[in-house]
Formats: sequence, structure tokens, C-alpha cells
Amino acid sequence: MDQLEERQIEVSRTFEAPLELLWRVWTEPEHFMKWYGPKGFTAPTCEIDLRKDGRHLWSMLSPDGMQMYYTGTFKEVVPMERLVFSDGMSDAEGNFMGMGEGMPEYWDVTVTFVHADGKTTVTVSHVGYGASAEHAGMGWEQAFDKLAAVLAKG
Amino acid sequence: MTKDTLSLTFSALADPTRRQILARLANGKLSVTQLAEPFKMTMPAVSKHLKVLERAGLIVRGREAQWRPAKLQAAPLKEAADWVEQYRQDWEESFDRLDAYLKTIQNEE
Repeated sequence: MDQLEERQIEVSRTFEAPLELLWRVWTEPEHFMKWYGPKGFTAPTCEIDLRKDGRHLWSMLSPDGMQMYYTGTFKEVVPMERLVFSDGMSDAEGNFMGMGEGMPEYWDVTVTFVHADGKTTVTVSHVGYGASAEHAGMGWEQAFDKLAAVLAKG
Repeated sequence: MTKDTLSLTFSALADPTRRQILARLANGKLSVTQLAEPFKMTMPAVSKHLKVLERAGLIVRGREAQWRPAKLQAAPLKEAADWVEQYRQDWEESFDRLDAYLKTIQNEE
């Protein structure tokens, strides 16, 4: 098996835009509301208290009219570099509600910003899932790829 | 203390020995002795891993008193894989919207 290292679920994209702009659209509510969420969703409300232990609270409106709130606190805010925050479903006041049966209350998200040649690469990773001690040295994607391949043969 | 099932699955998969155990069980059920062989591990150590996998619902143990074979259960793995896939897809869609938004605001300048 592969060398153990701390790996997370990672999704990355390079945008044709400067670093400062990417940082702004991620951290300023007026911008954040305009793009955050899957296709067909809108973010009708958004509060961001951008500092360590500051809270975020945003809502998402699904295409079929369901409104959900998400909240969490910032663990790290490194301007132009990194955001680390907890994120989980909540009520309109920002109390964690849990995300359904078998799901945890919240997870930790890390967003990194890397600039090169006028473009900016943003990487979102899901850091751990519950207590991080359990997940030290885990390669989820590797585990799934390998197991999926093995199970597909069976 | 109850744990959410996805966390149990991810915890179980966090260990490379347990991932190898699951991969081998994909080819059919095996006893603790058979599972211990390639790892040069003690039987109690293997049993400990099997308990974690069993608690996560990833394997079931047979009832035959002497050898209690371990058998792979795919459902929790599928649930976890589906979750990963949905998470990834949601982010890709958000990124599509971000890309379009960035183009809009840059064109306005």
C-alpha cells in the first residue's frame, strides 16, 4: 500500500483572476452570495465575521424552494493564503442541527489560495471528519479507489 | 457513545492494515488465522482490527464457533463513497459558478 500521509478529499480549480480578487469573493458576503452553492442554488443571506473564532452563517435556497442554513467558526484566517473553518447545517440562529442520519454535526474545511502567472488556484479540502486524531495518516480517496476497483471485480 | 455511521466507516478505513483486510475479503471470506498470515501480526491484533471493521458494519463474522469467518459488507463503503462523490460534485458546481462570476466582475472593470 502507499506511503501513509495526511490526505483529505480535495477539490481544486484554477481561475483566471488575481489572488486578491479570489480572496475577496471568498470572504466578503456581497460577493460570496453570488457564487457559492451548487447549480440552481442561491445564497439569500450571508454573514461572515472574518477572524479566528469569528462565525459565519449563510443560507442556501434550493431550486425547489428549500432553505437551509450553515454555520461554523473560523479556526484560521491567513489573508491571501488560507481559510480553515468548521461548517455544518444549522437553524436560522446558527445552532448546529446535524446533517441527517449517520452524519456528523459539522466538518472542517480548508481553503488554500495559490497564485501563479496571473491565475489563482483554489483548493478546498475536507480536513478530517470528527476528531482528527482518528484520521491522521488516512488516504480516503486512495482507499476508495483501490477498494472500488477490488469490489468491481467481484 | 454513538458515532455517526460515516465517521465509523472513515475511522475503519483510516488504517492501512484494515484496508488490506477488506481488499482480501473482497475475494471471499477468511478466518482470523488466514487474515493474520501475511501481516506477521498476532491473532489478538488482527481480531482487534476485525472488531473495528465489524462495528463499522464493513464485515460480518460467521457463527461457526471455531473459525468465525469474516465477510465483507459493501453497503457502508458505498455510502461513504457516495458521500465523497456528492461532496466533490457540489464543489465542482460551485467552482463553475465562481468561474462565471469572476468573469462577470472582471469584465465590468
